[in-house]
Amino acid sequence: MIAKDNRVIKIFHGPQHPGITGNMSVELDLVGETIQKARTHVGYLHRGFEKLIERRTIIQAFTIVCRICVPEPDPNEENFARAIEGLAGIEISHRAKYIRVMVLEMARVAAQMLWMGGQSGSVGLGTVAQWSIYDRDLILDLFEELTGGRVYHMYIYPGGVRRELPDGFLERLGKVLDHIEEKMPQYDALFFENSTFKKRAIGVGIIDKDLALKEGLVGQALRGCGIKRDVRKDNPYLVYDELDFDIPTFEGCDVYARAMVRRAEIKESVKILRQVIQKMPKEGEIMQKIPKHRKFKIPKDDILVSTESARGEFNYYMAGDGTEKIRRMQVKGPSLIHGFTLLEKLLVNEELSNVAMIMNSLGICPPEIER
Amino acid sequence: MIKILKQHYEIEEKSRRLFKIHIKKEEFLKTLNFIGLNSNFITLSQITCTDWIEDEVFTLNYILTTEQRDKNLMIALSIPREGKESKLPTLLYLFPQAEVMERDLHEMYGIEFIGNKTLFDFALENWNTTPPLRREFDTLAYVNEQFDFRKGREDNRDVKVETKRRRAEAKKLKAKKEVKK
Amino acid sequence: MKFSLDIKGTIAPFTAVRKLFEHPKTICYPIEKREKVEGYRGFHTNILATCIGCANCQDICMNDAIDMIPIQDEQNPKNNSGCIPRIDYGRCCWCSLCTDVCPPNSLKLESESIWASDNSNNFLYMPKDKR
Repeated sequence: MIAKDNRVIKIFHGPQHPGITGNMSVELDLVGETIQKARTHVGYLHRGFEKLIERRTIIQAFTIVCRICVPEPDPNEENFARAIEGLAGIEISHRAKYIRVMVLEMARVAAQMLWMGGQSGSVGLGTVAQWSIYDRDLILDLFEELTGGRVYHMYIYPGGVRRELPDGFLERLGKVLDHIEEKMPQYDALFFENSTFKKRAIGVGIIDKDLALKEGLVGQALRGCGIKRDVRKDNPYLVYDELDFDIPTFEGCDVYARAMVRRAEIKESVKILRQVIQKMPKEGEIMQKIPKHRKFKIPKDDILVSTESARGEFNYYMAGDGTEKIRRMQVKGPSLIHGFTLLEKLLVNEELSNVAMIMNSLGICPPEIER
Repeated sequence: MIKILKQHYEIEEKSRRLFKIHIKKEEFLKTLNFIGLNSNFITLSQITCTDWIEDEVFTLNYILTTEQRDKNLMIALSIPREGKESKLPTLLYLFPQAEVMERDLHEMYGIEFIGNKTLFDFALENWNTTPPLRREFDTLAYVNEQFDFRKGREDNRDVKVETKRRRAEAKKLKAKKEVKK
Repeated sequence: MKFSLDIKGTIAPFTAVRKLFEHPKTICYPIEKREKVEGYRGFHTNILATCIGCANCQDICMNDAIDMIPIQDEQNPKNNSGCIPRIDYGRCCWCSLCTDVCPPNSLKLESESIWASDNSNNFLYMPKDKR
């Protein structure tokens, strides 16, 4: 629809909006209902983590790192622990590696459940959110008895993990996985094969496939275009090279393709968790001996580590200077490039009602853009 | 590609998949153009900056990744902290994602990138004092100046002082008892 | 991929109506309450008969939430400084590092997690003396 007088109106798809995935705003220039230009504004969630780390010792810093990303805190803890172990030269036990893989994959399933609620809510279908929050709650109950907290776990420690598994934990995990596998056909019938969702999502938010790799896109933005990249296969860490799983891709480059990729990933995560339950070593210590907190020094060196989170590749750069404090820790999440360069390009010539759907499909999480 | 680079630069191999080279500020554009256009390292993944205040330099790291996403290359260079030399040319035309990263570094450290027209606020608003991630910015002093603390916690004691005081009192009491005897 | 209308995609969403006849998944709070889970990081408890007043907990807390205050009646003759910890719940993040470094293992966390008061000074919490 083109307006009769071609007047440009500026609105804020703003920080208070039920259709966005966090606290950020997009400033839109509209002619009629079509967007001419978009500009992202962040800054509502700046807590200054990188400056807070400078005054704290390593063990004190580990407890605030998980708060950088709200929907899925575990990749942050894993990155921090692996960077400190890489700089200080600590080797962890096989059993601790399996427990860490289990925690990371459980967090990934919980985050995909939360995404499903958000994506369907942005299209107008509120029922799926009511169902998926219950399924996520079953996983949070498991986290509560394992780590002591439901959302912020503070469990993956430089040197191993913090507590032993409770009795009967692996059987309870198996029952929750059975329940999730039983529910997936119901989600398919309501959401993924729904004609209304398909009509709205196919052909919208198309990414240019040839420039995708050069511009630094990660995660579902690449896999929805048919390009198969995943840190767990390309640059494996922990015990992912001993486990058997696939990387799902889908052709189409649009919102529907990215949704189908995420649906397939839930199934792959359940497959990995079943293998971990079978292969978990029964003996092994969970925690190595590390020095006390004012005596734990790291050498003057730097390192780069990366982990695959539910939205893409998460990178940490860490530099030490020979004392017990970290000199610099820089965090780069997957949403930094998706939220700025990609979003401002994708929104041109789109309708106003599709903005929330595109933002949800890219998985933009503002807390990790401006930690 | 690593073999070709080994002929021109000195590469430090940190692990099987992570490499690092050190270059000078004058060869910056030449090196990045050469690597970005002629090799497998086609993506700029991160620009990091560390403040070495005792040596008076900022050390920047440009981190490039391969097309297969299996190897990382860190290109390290140092620029002076103060003065007119604390600036670098922008990489916006070679890697479009550098625009946001340079904006973030400009706000947090005060480094200027020549040619980037989007160097305004990223996460902070109306910030008039020193760029916050520099080492000379003391957060404790800033907080004590700007904010008041809640009352009710004045009865906090230093444990070492209390222990000494109680030991001295106990000794005096013991000495008095000896005298009485 | 092009969109084409199919019968299955139009009729299948209506199967969700059967959820109307299922038992609800929520509990009727406060008539029914949730069971407490052992190991949950809730409020602090401190066994005064074994607390030695060493202030390791104050040293490791990175939010400066713990104050050492002198006590009136002595419970432990080995308490050299005569002080016990009091925690500011406006600053605590419940990471439980203070319980990890306590040498006689007297500071612990229980599963209780509900505390309401209309006076903000009541949030300078004195841990209960409980075994």
